[in-house]
Amino acid sequence: MDKSELPFLSASELSGLIASREVSPVGVTEAYIDRIDSLDFKFNAYLTVTREMAMDAAREAEQEIAAGRHRGPMHGVPVAVKDQFNSAGVRTTGGSRILADFVPDEDAAVIANLKQAGAVLLGKTNLTEFAITGFSHRYSTPRNPWDLNTYAGGSSSGSGAATGARLCATSLGEDTGGSIRFPATWCGLVGLRPTWGLVSRYGVMRGVWSMDTVGPISRTVEDAAITLNAIAGHDPRDSHTSTAPVPDYRAALSGSISGLRIGVVTEHMESDLVEADVRRTVGQAITVLGELGATVEEVSLPLSALAGAVSGTLLAVEPANNHAKWVHENLSDYGHDDRILLLTGSVMPASYYNKAQKLRELIRRQVLEALGKYDALVFPTSGRTAQPVEDDPAVTSKATSSRLPFLFTRLFNLASCPAMSVPCGFDDNGMPVGLQIGGRPFSEETLFRIGHAYEQATDWHMRLPTAVA
Amino acid sequence: MADLSREDIQALGRAVGLDIQEPELTEVMYSLNALLESLDAINPPGLENVEPLPIILPPA
Repeated sequence: MDKSELPFLSASELSGLIASREVSPVGVTEAYIDRIDSLDFKFNAYLTVTREMAMDAAREAEQEIAAGRHRGPMHGVPVAVKDQFNSAGVRTTGGSRILADFVPDEDAAVIANLKQAGAVLLGKTNLTEFAITGFSHRYSTPRNPWDLNTYAGGSSSGSGAATGARLCATSLGEDTGGSIRFPATWCGLVGLRPTWGLVSRYGVMRGVWSMDTVGPISRTVEDAAITLNAIAGHDPRDSHTSTAPVPDYRAALSGSISGLRIGVVTEHMESDLVEADVRRTVGQAITVLGELGATVEEVSLPLSALAGAVSGTLLAVEPANNHAKWVHENLSDYGHDDRILLLTGSVMPASYYNKAQKLRELIRRQVLEALGKYDALVFPTSGRTAQPVEDDPAVTSKATSSRLPFLFTRLFNLASCPAMSVPCGFDDNGMPVGLQIGGRPFSEETLFRIGHAYEQATDWHMRLPTAVA
Repeated sequence: MADLSREDIQALGRAVGLDIQEPELTEVMYSLNALLESLDAINPPGLENVEPLPIILPPA
């Protein structure tokens, strides 16, 4: 196989070829670096490319594998990680000018875990400023591989763009309100927000402490499964991580979902915020799940419609408190959207924050009650496909205060549940649509099983983005 | 609750040591009023009896 073709293999395919020594980690790393150097000017996916470190890691992987010491599925596989995660000796900006020169002396747990698994770190990916807004970037704006005039989705925008553009084999994002699933759905990728407490957040820049999660953005469900396996597990430095054993997620990809019960959340399927072609496409995907043997029924979650207001309050107040020193001393160093968000969160009356937390608990109870009856809940990840890149617009009324009313990811963040977005087709303009599958806490195996069965029955994940072909 | 005015926003800002001026002032006013209005409108049964619990502890 020509070296330039290697980046078009999935991480799982690559993993198998590396393990059998048909592909060299050095060769595939060189292929990705060549591709980044020649193409990333179009996508703005990376903030920092760690060329020398990547080649050193690739050579080490090659030597270990040649010596018969294969560490597992991620050994020798080139990955990209969001620049929200501390990386020892490598600039870590958080997408902010305030941290433009910050070089941590220790790796975040997820980066250390990837290295331990033998993965090759290609670099740090672009993101919205401090990962607390959906669109506002302080460096370049990552572009969607399906249409370079549109956003990749945020806040893990660079991880979405890099994975979609074949500038890495798989990647990590961080999801507080949907920041893994949002770029996944807009870039036609698989994105999994794990259960809160499955993956350590040690060394991760904080958004909302009780909602932050780190997870994979990948091209296939199997790729997401092997990526998650490399980073999941207890970490005493994050006291909220579970000590339960982490299952082998790839082993859950049985291909069968016969007997599973799936609830279709009517409030999100029928919302006015869902465009007609998105609703039709997601509806067709749900039909496929039924044809694969799942029992599919409609379920009403009336409180799900409140998720935006409740999460919007938490997503303003907690970052404002995390950033309080800089808000007081460096406000002009923030971009527009972050300035407005952080000031709004700074002056939010405490009684409203308390009410939002109480509403959150009611929402969680309703979600968990439904998940007592159903193995998974499904609806569109986003009611819209990728939108054109624009300057950050001014807030000119209460109605224009949110740029993300169409994003339906936050229900699962509020409920501390895992959720995955899988590509399920295209809108009338040829832009990707995502099906969201949410489940009970620590039911990632079930989500992978459903997503993989759907993926095997369709070919959406095999389509190549327009700007990549 | 009636919408907060620009002066109200500035007073809330002063209470936390922030001098909020234009061009941010009007935008913060709209953003905060949107959230407060949304939360004021949400009063499901049982709200007064629920604890503001942010997390479910992971299993050991």
